[in-house]
Amino acid sequence: MKRETAAAPSLPLLAHYRAPWNSPDELLDSRGAIRPVWRAFVDDLSRLPAEEVSLRFARGDQYLRDAGVFYRRYGDEEAADRAWPLSHIPVLIAEEEWTAITQALTQRAELLEAIAADLYGEAHLVRDGILPPALIAASPEWLRPLVGVTPHAGHFLSFLAFEIGRGPDGAWWVLGDRTQAPAGAGFALENRLATTHVFSDLQARASVRPLDDFFRAFREALFAQRPDGNGAAAILSPGPMADTYSEHAYIARHLGLLLLEGEDLAIENGRVHVRTVDGLNPIGLLWRRLDASFADPLELNEHSQIGTPGLVSALRNGSVAMVNALGVGVLESRALMAFMPRVCEAVRGEALKMPNIATWWCGQKAERDYVLANAERMMFAPALSTGLPFEAAAQRSLANVLGEGGRDLAGALARRGGGIVAQEAVQLSTTPAYAGGQLEPRPINLRVFLARTQAGWIAMPGGYARIGRAGQADVVSMQQGGAVADVWVIGPAAGAPPAPPSVSATPVARSRPGSLPSRAADNLFWLGRYVERAESLMRLKRAYHVRLAETGDSQLPVLLHLENFLTFRRAFLDAAPTGISGVLAAALTSAGRVRDRFSVDGWLALNDVTHSARALATLPPGHETAHTLNHLLREIAGFFGLVHENMMRTTGWRFMGTGRSLERAMQIASLLGEYTQPGVPDGALDVAIEVGDSAMAHRRLFAMEVNRTNVLDLLAFDLRNPRALLSLLADFKEQVAALPHAVEDGAMSPLLRAAHQIHGDLAVESAQSVTTSALFKVWGDLAAFSELLSDTYFR
Amino acid sequence: MLYDVRLRIRQVYTPPATAGRYLLRLMPADLPGAQRLVTGILEGEPAPQERWDGRDFFGNAVAEVAYKAAQAELGFSVRARVQRLEAAVPQAPAPLLAALGDEITASLSLAPDSPHHFTGRSVRVAAFAEASDYARAALPADATSLSAVQAIGEAIHRDFRFMPGATTVETPVEQVFTLRAGVCQDFSHFMIACLRGIGVPAGYVSGFLRTIPPTGQTRLEGSDAMHAWVRAWCGQAIGWVEYDPTNAVFARGDHIVVAYGRDYSDAAPTVGAVRSAGTQATSHAVDVVPVEAPAAPRNGG
Repeated sequence: MKRETAAAPSLPLLAHYRAPWNSPDELLDSRGAIRPVWRAFVDDLSRLPAEEVSLRFARGDQYLRDAGVFYRRYGDEEAADRAWPLSHIPVLIAEEEWTAITQALTQRAELLEAIAADLYGEAHLVRDGILPPALIAASPEWLRPLVGVTPHAGHFLSFLAFEIGRGPDGAWWVLGDRTQAPAGAGFALENRLATTHVFSDLQARASVRPLDDFFRAFREALFAQRPDGNGAAAILSPGPMADTYSEHAYIARHLGLLLLEGEDLAIENGRVHVRTVDGLNPIGLLWRRLDASFADPLELNEHSQIGTPGLVSALRNGSVAMVNALGVGVLESRALMAFMPRVCEAVRGEALKMPNIATWWCGQKAERDYVLANAERMMFAPALSTGLPFEAAAQRSLANVLGEGGRDLAGALARRGGGIVAQEAVQLSTTPAYAGGQLEPRPINLRVFLARTQAGWIAMPGGYARIGRAGQADVVSMQQGGAVADVWVIGPAAGAPPAPPSVSATPVARSRPGSLPSRAADNLFWLGRYVERAESLMRLKRAYHVRLAETGDSQLPVLLHLENFLTFRRAFLDAAPTGISGVLAAALTSAGRVRDRFSVDGWLALNDVTHSARALATLPPGHETAHTLNHLLREIAGFFGLVHENMMRTTGWRFMGTGRSLERAMQIASLLGEYTQPGVPDGALDVAIEVGDSAMAHRRLFAMEVNRTNVLDLLAFDLRNPRALLSLLADFKEQVAALPHAVEDGAMSPLLRAAHQIHGDLAVESAQSVTTSALFKVWGDLAAFSELLSDTYFR
Repeated sequence: MLYDVRLRIRQVYTPPATAGRYLLRLMPADLPGAQRLVTGILEGEPAPQERWDGRDFFGNAVAEVAYKAAQAELGFSVRARVQRLEAAVPQAPAPLLAALGDEITASLSLAPDSPHHFTGRSVRVAAFAEASDYARAALPADATSLSAVQAIGEAIHRDFRFMPGATTVETPVEQVFTLRAGVCQDFSHFMIACLRGIGVPAGYVSGFLRTIPPTGQTRLEGSDAMHAWVRAWCGQAIGWVEYDPTNAVFARGDHIVVAYGRDYSDAAPTVGAVRSAGTQATSHAVDVVPVEAPAAPRNGG
C-alpha cells in the first residue's frame, strides 16, 4: 500500500490533502483515489459552502455545551471542565470491515475472560510456563484478596474497550486492552448526537448503523446480572474529581442507573446497600468506574478514601454483581501483550484474529537481546504500566524508562528488565480533519466497545475515534491536544430500510424514584442553603455599596454598623471562604456531586453566577460593585427559576427546597435580631427593610414611617408578606412535612415536631411582644434543626 | 512444647466511633508439621453484630467483624492452646546466593508460598539502595541463601537498638535505617528490605513469643505484646526458614506463628475501617505460658 505521493483528487476540499507516504490513509487508497465508503460523504461535503460548514460545526459545538459534555485534564492547576474536543468529520468504515473487526475483538474478549478466570483460579497458564509468575506477582492490579473468588455472574468481564489502529500493512492492530473501567461509551453517544447535529442530512443518506441498540441490550444485560433479579443497579464512580465524571453522570441518566460513590454504600449482613433517606436499600449490580484497588480500604488499598469497607467480603458472598469484576486490571499490564499470541494458542488452540502491537517483556534474556539490537524502533514503558501506547510522549526511550544515562543500558536492562516492556513503534493511519476550509490528514485510532449480553458479546458500531495532531503519527491523545471523532459504520446499500428496533420481551426495570441516596440528599440540601445564603449576602452587600455610592462616606454610622454585621458573619471580604464567592464555590461543589440529578441548564446557570461573582473582588467599592450585585441577584433568581421550572418534583427537589427555606428563615431571623436591637444607628431599619426585600410593601402600608414595631410587623409577622419570618417558617414547616417519613403510623417524627415547635414559638408572639433574644433563638433553633436533619437522613 | 496463649486488645474511641468493620488476624495458625492449634477462641467485646471467619490469600485465619452501633470501647480476646514443634535445622545444602535467582525463576507457581510474591515491592517494604549496601557488607564470603539470612539478622541485632516509642506502626522502613532503632516490626521490615535487595525472597511473620523463658535463659524481647519476625526463601530444597532479628535467633520452638505476609500490611493483627472523626487508643496484653503437660512431644533437635 506504499505510494510515493498521493495524487490529489480534483476536489478543492482536498486540494492540499497529502497523506503520509509510509502509512495508509482512511480516505484515499494507495493510488490517491477516494475509497468507495467515503465517496458520497465527500461529494456532499464538497457541495457545502465554507460558511455553511462553519455554521454546522458551531451547531454541534453548541449542542455539546448545552448537554454539559466536558472532560477533565490531568495536571491542570485548577481541575476545570474543558470543552469536549470534537473533530467534526466522522471516520467512515464499511460494514464488511467492521464485522471482521468485531469478530476479532470478540475472540480477544473471550481470551481475556479466560486469562482472568485462570489468574484468579487455578493459574494453569503460570504452572504450564506460558505466563511468567514474576510478572503477575509483581502487578499491583493482581489483587490477592480476590484469588479464589468466583464472580456472582460467573464471568469477570462484561464491558470492554479496545484501542485499535491500522498499521502500515493496512491491517488493524490492537494497541491496548481496557478492562479495568473502560471510559468513553457515554462520550461516544455524545459524539454521535453532536455529529448528527452537524451532518443530519448526510448521515440520513449514508445508512449509518445506530448506537442505541447497543446500549439497550447492555442495559438489559446489566439488570439481568443482579442476583435473584433484585436490588438497584448503579454506577460506582470515584466522584467529581475523576476526569470522566461528567460521562458517569451522563450515562447514569441515560440508562436510568443510580450514580453512587463508595461512601454511599454500606455493607450489612453480607449484602451491599445504598444509604438512602429511607434507610438502607439493597444493591444488585454495580457498574464499576473506579479503579479496583480503591474499592475497599479494608482488604485492598488501606489508604483509599473513596471505597467501601467490606465490599470485597460482599463480593465473596456473591450477593452483588460487579461489572467488571475486581482484579481484571491485571489484564491491562502492558507486558502481558507479549504473551497474547502464545496464550491464545494455549487456551483456544487458534491464532489471534487481530494481532496486537509487537511487544517484548525484557524479563527474558532472548527478548532482551532482541530489544537491545533494535532499540531505535521501539517504544519503552514500565512492564506493568496500564497506560496506552501512543498516549504518553514521555518515557519513550530506554534510557528514559530506566531512568539512567546512556552508559550501560545493557547492564541496567539485564538487572531490571523484569520491569520494562518494549513495543514496536508503528505509524498509524490517517483520517481527514477539517481545518481552514480544507481537509487534512491526522493520525487516528479507534476505541471499540464490547458488551456481554445474554446472546454473547456485541460491539458498539462505531462512535469513538481518537484523532492526533497533524504531523504526529505516533501520539494520539486528548491529553496531548488531540481530538475525538464519531465513527460511522456504513451499511452495504444506502437507503436500505433500517432494521426494526429490538423490543425486549421483559419490561425494563427502573430504580424507584423514592430511594434518594443520602449523600445526594445532603448535597441538594446544602446546595439550597448555600445559594440562598449567597443571595442574602448579595442583598446585604448591595445595601452597603448603594449607600456608599450615595454618600461617599464609609465612616457613616449605618455603614459601620453594616460592615460590623458582615464582619461578624465573616463575610465582609467577597473572596473569603465565607464571602459571596466562597459560598458560591461551595454551592458549585455540592451541585457538582449531584450532576446526575440536576438539569444541565441549572448547572450552567450556577457556573455563570459563580464566574460573574469572581469580578466582585476586583471592583472598586460603591457604584460599580452595587451595579454588579444587581446583576448577580438577577442571575441567581434565574438559577432558582430554572430549578423550579425544570427539576423533577422528587425527594431530592424537596431537600433542596427545605435547605433553601431553612437558610432564608435563618437569614431573616439574624437580620431582624441584629437590626431591631435598641441603639441601632439612623437608617438601619431601612437597611433591614431593603434587605428583607419589602421596601415597596412597607411604603404602601406604613406611609414611610419606619420604627421598630412597624418593621417587625412587616418583616416577621405579616402573613401577607411571603418574606416575613412567620410566613417563611410556615412554608418551612410544610416542606419538612413533605420529607420522607415525616409522619409514620400517624405520629409526627421528632424532626417535624421540631419544625412545628420553631414555628409555634414565633406564632404566639407579636410585633410588640417579641424580644430580640427570641429572634436570635429562632436562628439558633434552625441551626440545631439542620443538625437534626443531617442525623435523620444523611448518616 | 505446649503453650496456653492469652491475648487481649482494647481500643478506645473518643468520641465513640459510629460504626466499624475490622479484620482480625489474631488466632495462632495451624501449620502441618510445625504448629498445631489444639483449641482456640476469638471473641469480641461487646459481641459484634456480624462475624465471618475465613482465610486470606496467604492462608491466614481472618475474622471479619462489624459493629453497627456507636462504640466507645472495643475489646478482642484470644484464648488458645498451641502445640509448637521444634523446627528442624535445615539439612539440605543451601544454594549459593548467586544461584538463587535461577531457582526462583524455575518456580512456576503463584501459590501463597511461592517465592514470587516476596521478591519485589510490597505495600510497606521495597528494597532500597542503602539497605542492599548494608546487606552486602554483612555477607560472609561465598554466602549461601541461608548464611546470608543469619549474617544479616545478626548484623541488625548488633547495629539496631530495641527502643519502643522510637517508631510507630506507620514509620517507613527507610527511616528505621536512619534511626538504627525501633521494635520487632521495624527490624523485620528492614531485614526484608535487605534480603529482597540481594535477591532473597523475604516475608513477614506475626505471632507470639513465650513470656517466661526456660530456667537459666533470659527473657526474649517482645514477649509482652504480639511479636514479628522474618521468613526467607532459601531455595527449592530448604524452602522457607524463619529468623527473628530482634533476638538474633532462628524461630524454632519459642515462636508461635499467627500470620504470614509480604509485610505488616498482609499480616496486620487488626485492620479497622471506622466511621469516626476522633482519635483511637489501643492497648495489648499477651501471656504465653508453657503447659506442664507430661506428654508434650518434641520433634528432633
